[in-house]
Amino acid sequence: MTLYIFASAVLRCGFFLAVAAAFVFLAGLLSPAAGGAQRSPLARIGAPCITALAGLLTLDALILFHAFAAQDFIVEYVAQYSDSTLPAAYRITAFWAGQPGSLLFWAWAVSLSGALFVLLPAYKKLGTRTQTGFCLFFTGITAFFLFLLADWNNPFELLDFVPEDGRGLNPLLQNPGMVLHPPLLFLGYAGFVVPGCLALAQSAGSGRAGEPKTEEAYWGDTARPFILAAWSLLTAGIVLGAWWAYMELGWGGYWAWDPVENASLLPWLISSAYLHTSVIGRKRGKLRRTNVFLMCLTTVSAFFAAYLVRSGAVQSLHAFSDEGVGLPLLIFTFVFLYLAGAAALCTTGKDARPLEDLSSKEGLLLFVAWLLSAVSAVILIATLWPVIINALITLSAHLPAFVAERLPQTPMGLEASFYNRACLPLLALPALLLLVCPGRKWKLRPGSSGFTRPRLFYAVLAAAVGLGLTLRFAGIQQPVALAAAACAVAGAAGILLHLSSGPRPASLLAAHGTHIGLLLMTLGVALSGPYQQKYTLTLGRGETGKAGQYRVTVRELYEGESRIGADGRPGYRFVEAELRVTSGNGTPLGTLAPQRRLYAKFEQQSFAEAVTLFGPGDELYAVLLGIDERTMKASLSFNVNPLVNWIWFGGILMCVFPVVGFVMKRPAGRSAGEGAPEGDEGDVAEMEETRENTVPA
Amino acid sequence: MAKRSGKGLYAAALLLFLGGAGYLVFSGISESSVYFLNVSEALSLPGDKLHSARLFGTVRQDGLTRLDAGTGVRFQLEDKDNAGKTLWVEYEGPVPDTFKAGAEVIVEGGIQGEKAFRAVTLMTKCPSKYQKENRI
Repeated sequence: MTLYIFASAVLRCGFFLAVAAAFVFLAGLLSPAAGGAQRSPLARIGAPCITALAGLLTLDALILFHAFAAQDFIVEYVAQYSDSTLPAAYRITAFWAGQPGSLLFWAWAVSLSGALFVLLPAYKKLGTRTQTGFCLFFTGITAFFLFLLADWNNPFELLDFVPEDGRGLNPLLQNPGMVLHPPLLFLGYAGFVVPGCLALAQSAGSGRAGEPKTEEAYWGDTARPFILAAWSLLTAGIVLGAWWAYMELGWGGYWAWDPVENASLLPWLISSAYLHTSVIGRKRGKLRRTNVFLMCLTTVSAFFAAYLVRSGAVQSLHAFSDEGVGLPLLIFTFVFLYLAGAAALCTTGKDARPLEDLSSKEGLLLFVAWLLSAVSAVILIATLWPVIINALITLSAHLPAFVAERLPQTPMGLEASFYNRACLPLLALPALLLLVCPGRKWKLRPGSSGFTRPRLFYAVLAAAVGLGLTLRFAGIQQPVALAAAACAVAGAAGILLHLSSGPRPASLLAAHGTHIGLLLMTLGVALSGPYQQKYTLTLGRGETGKAGQYRVTVRELYEGESRIGADGRPGYRFVEAELRVTSGNGTPLGTLAPQRRLYAKFEQQSFAEAVTLFGPGDELYAVLLGIDERTMKASLSFNVNPLVNWIWFGGILMCVFPVVGFVMKRPAGRSAGEGAPEGDEGDVAEMEETRENTVPA
Repeated sequence: MAKRSGKGLYAAALLLFLGGAGYLVFSGISESSVYFLNVSEALSLPGDKLHSARLFGTVRQDGLTRLDAGTGVRFQLEDKDNAGKTLWVEYEGPVPDTFKAGAEVIVEGGIQGEKAFRAVTLMTKCPSKYQKENRI
């Protein structure tokens, strides 16, 4: 018990330390001496301060892990989300099953990323003003987390009695997907804090006229490993969340356009837009303001996502309750947005050269950024649509009648079909662009085709048209699905052919690998969504039914019990249908055994354990709805999902390849931004144009 | 930032793109807008306005009937804040795992000349993260 009182005290001490440090750094940043060439004392205390905060949060995180491992049910949070029958792995992962624990995990991840950054040589090479600015913004964000944790969301709140057992972890969360999905999302969100603070800090430093200028690395280069790692982790978190929904919720879908899902997509889309404009920024020295704004927007969108999830502002499939964190998160979002706007305005863009033609690689990269930003704006507006309509209804009471009668009078929202109608065509466009972009030149010259390998481009284009026609004749009628699938396959083949023409820099390999992953995912989504087939069968022992091209026979119906641990405590009871699956002509394809489970702590509800018959083409997905005890017939739901596994395979590539970009060693003598312009092999004139990779600070 | 000639092209392309995206959004809004209502709001509307709606509420214990082997359910949807206001809901299809009396649910469908709301989608709120109840 003393341990948990101590842990609460650590949160409060950490909060006061972070606030004090933030004020000191603010004073330092405002002092005229901050931009001096000599190292100020502030620059020396920044790293220890951020490391100390990380140490305090690590201590508290370890204490909470201990509380779950030791099953200290005196801690309210532990009693709420675990019990004595919970398997050891889930006992640990219950850490992030509720709001206080997940907030602590997020704060811990943020603090560790900051501590890692200030220990790196890259941080030590920054100017004093940028270091001070970084420490100010970073300790400010840490203070905000600790403010929430110390007061409204303290995971170390104690009960005034010790329960005999805990309430248990919801069975839906007892799934490998849920072990990793939340922490990966939080690690992704956290990873964008360092780049966001660094962008703000360098921009804040660059706007002061008349100060001595020192040369320091461009923030986009310094923070690039953090940005790529965060993007990979966020992608992994989103893909794992989709896989968990597919396997565990038992409805056969992986994406429902729920506000919680949309919330995680916003930072991903904005950071993806940044990754495209950052190529122009790093390689061509352009769009610096845009890059600062997009990175800060990425950082703040993670906090806004948390606001959507935890405030109850919008109705969602997920159960929310505003425990007081909604308003602080919203205020924080607006403050950070203001800072992002100010930082973008402060960033010097005078030296930037004009953009190349719209159809050059530079122009197309910018177009992709527009596209991704537009999709994120559409999703944001649609998610908040019920809030907007409610605000209009409230407003209409105070407006003249002729205006009010034109405004909606009843709460309204948008169905999932809106997102499919508005977003899927936009999200299919990258597949089309990836036919063109990989071989496009940075600079177009009169008389040139604009492609590094024109014949390859025309071959890829012809392949896309041919594939489209083939799919059309095969029965794929929906234009968006047809175009996306054809472009995805042809585009992936085109990128592979580009890669096969010789050795490539790691950054190009990373980009191309990630794009192949995206194209495979596009292929999977394009066909598994609109062309999913659903069947419901009621079968007794020995009876056979048909689900699409599959024939399913019930071999046996079972009931049983699963026991946990050496003492054989009851975990759950289950009923199971053993199914034999054959093709239409009787060829055996496999055996499936979907279950329904009744968990010891959740006897009022039965939980489906969906099973799949894996296939690179169609996948058969089976759920046992129930067994009628009178007739001894099983009700079974089947989905035939075409190409669904390409979503997961593409997702894996998208998570792995960005890491290649910063793990693989660069050629000696080149800094991050000094490689040959991507895709323009042999274009010496363009290599000479590569900017020096420094900015005034 | 762009060349004088290029700036115009970028601006025209941006306008064209925003026009296309705007068309998708406005056509989507006009065709996919549905009423988002709690039970008391739904009861206050005439039936002909409820041909397509998403309702929020809790499952009442009284009258909860499951069809054979989990292939559907009939229940009363109760207003979360006003316990007296209820609406009958009929749903045929796989019932979510976490559906039970007292659960918060979202139903999509409509009333078409009948008294009961025929749901084509039945969703229970995910009992996962961020939920706080006095459960001990």
